[in-house]
Amino acid sequence: MTTVESPRTAADTATNRQVVSSELLAEEPHGSSRIDATDVTCWFGKRKVLERCSLSMEPGKVTALIGPSGCGKSTFLRSLNRMHELVPVAAIAGTIELDGVDIYSEEMSPTEVRSRIGMVFQKPNPFPAMSIADNVLAGLGLSGMSHEDPKALVEQCLRRAGLWAEVSDRLDEGGMSLSGGQQQRLCIARALAVHPDVLLMDEPCSALDPISTRVIEQTIRELCEEITIVIVTHNMQQAQRVSDTCAFFLVESIGDPGRIVEAGPTAQVFENPSDPRTYDYVTGQFG
Amino acid sequence: MALTTPDLQALEEQVPRDIARTVTRGDRIFRTLCASAAAVSLFIIGGTALFLAIKAVPALQKAGLVSFFTTSVWNPTVGDFGVLGLLIGTIIIATVSLIVAVPLAIGLALFINEYSPARIRRILTSSVDLLAAMPSIIFGMWGFFALQAPLVGVAAWLNLHLSAIPFFRLSEADAPLLRSSFIVGTVVALMIVPIITSVSRDVMAQCPRSQCEAALALGGSRWGMIKEVLLPFGKAGITGAVLLGFGRALGETIAVALIIAFTVQANPYVLEQGGGSIASLIAIKFPEAQDLEISALIAAGLALFSMTLFVNLGARAIVRRTQIAA
Repeated sequence: MTTVESPRTAADTATNRQVVSSELLAEEPHGSSRIDATDVTCWFGKRKVLERCSLSMEPGKVTALIGPSGCGKSTFLRSLNRMHELVPVAAIAGTIELDGVDIYSEEMSPTEVRSRIGMVFQKPNPFPAMSIADNVLAGLGLSGMSHEDPKALVEQCLRRAGLWAEVSDRLDEGGMSLSGGQQQRLCIARALAVHPDVLLMDEPCSALDPISTRVIEQTIRELCEEITIVIVTHNMQQAQRVSDTCAFFLVESIGDPGRIVEAGPTAQVFENPSDPRTYDYVTGQFG
Repeated sequence: MALTTPDLQALEEQVPRDIARTVTRGDRIFRTLCASAAAVSLFIIGGTALFLAIKAVPALQKAGLVSFFTTSVWNPTVGDFGVLGLLIGTIIIATVSLIVAVPLAIGLALFINEYSPARIRRILTSSVDLLAAMPSIIFGMWGFFALQAPLVGVAAWLNLHLSAIPFFRLSEADAPLLRSSFIVGTVVALMIVPIITSVSRDVMAQCPRSQCEAALALGGSRWGMIKEVLLPFGKAGITGAVLLGFGRALGETIAVALIIAFTVQANPYVLEQGGGSIASLIAIKFPEAQDLEISALIAAGLALFSMTLFVNLGARAIVRRTQIAA
């Protein structure tokens, strides 16, 4: 990390020191992590929706999950931070390892899994009763953490989510006063505040306009240097723009569970797929 | 094809036109029927209030409007009536019942909504409904014969350990603890648990799933989610539910009349024998009342009617406000 070189006023240096210390704190615990899913099968009641999906999500990379609606990619994503089991009739088989530790084993509690593997949902869902700043800090209170300098943490997270410039002068306003795209970036900032090693994003831009989408995509590219990101998207251009690795999910015929047809470097999946079904999908011939 | 722009200045200012609202005969008949049903309910409320007000006049004149509400006496032979003590007693009993019922009801609502497996949820939901349908005389008898003994034990314990709090003191060390406001309040609490449970359950079920998931996805425990998302969301609605329960507790009659050692004076010693409420006054005195005493009982009824009406209106307003916000 470089030291401050340009001349600054005393006040500037003071705030800068705080930010630096928070950044150190952000990097200190884990750094970025890898997730290895092996033979993951998911059920809702008797219905098998996903079968034997294996995928490695590399540290510091963006992995995109693509495929037509209903192919199980959101279910797969939700199984990665134990949100799947919140549906009463849900069941799962296989293993999901975060840096080699099975997240469904005794070694990890669901709350620990979820604070290390954060999630951003399809529809922006800031807490309506909380201010912008309190939304960012909500995860700390929820998981019983505390931070020595909440103000600096709010600024740091909003900066990383690309929202700071737009809201820095109204942190006390309600989170719902923001536009849809801003709300989604607030949700990203909120997820970042608990210092996750992995961030899961379930179609984060599907409710947003193209300009907001572009801002979020930039944010994803910046974040992936520190955090492993897994993103579900319907938008194949988006998958090409933001992801390093890509997995294509497909339900072969109605009633079948979803399976991973092909996974690999994004460029290869899109330009030179090994499976004809992948080729058909990425070239828009069905789906 | 040429598109001509109309010369807006030349045109007259437009006003809303009439819209023909043709109603079919079936609709008209049905609407009349529904409107009559609605009118009946308004008539009942208005009629009751009017009846109470008219019949109360003789007693209020004899006892004096002001002293009726500021003294605590019940002496039909000289026509001296005052319900201050009973108004206070009513509020004491209702408050005791809230203190017992609210944690029970909210805990039950949260357990049903958030923690219980589907099968147990069904069982609990229907038993809460059953509890709501139980006649209050049953609660009264059960309270009188089965609950008094254990509750006297609780009262003695409270007095022994918490007498630093004024409410848990006794007038004298060996004062009798049976038939107290505390015991009555606890029995009434069991009667208002169902309404508070079911209304607050409905309110909390309206909390958007996405909010709850957001809280859990941040690494929150279920309790964290309840504390940070569910309860703040349901706050106003739960307050309304509690007020509905309060309204019901104010009017509870038979169980109170059965258990309490009735006194006209307010008894600040909640754990101790003796107390009263407006509703129990009416139930106890009515069978043998004549002329002026009947009028006085009706005046007391009017006071209770107004009190519960205001509490209920307040509760409904609060519940409605949250439903709109949700």
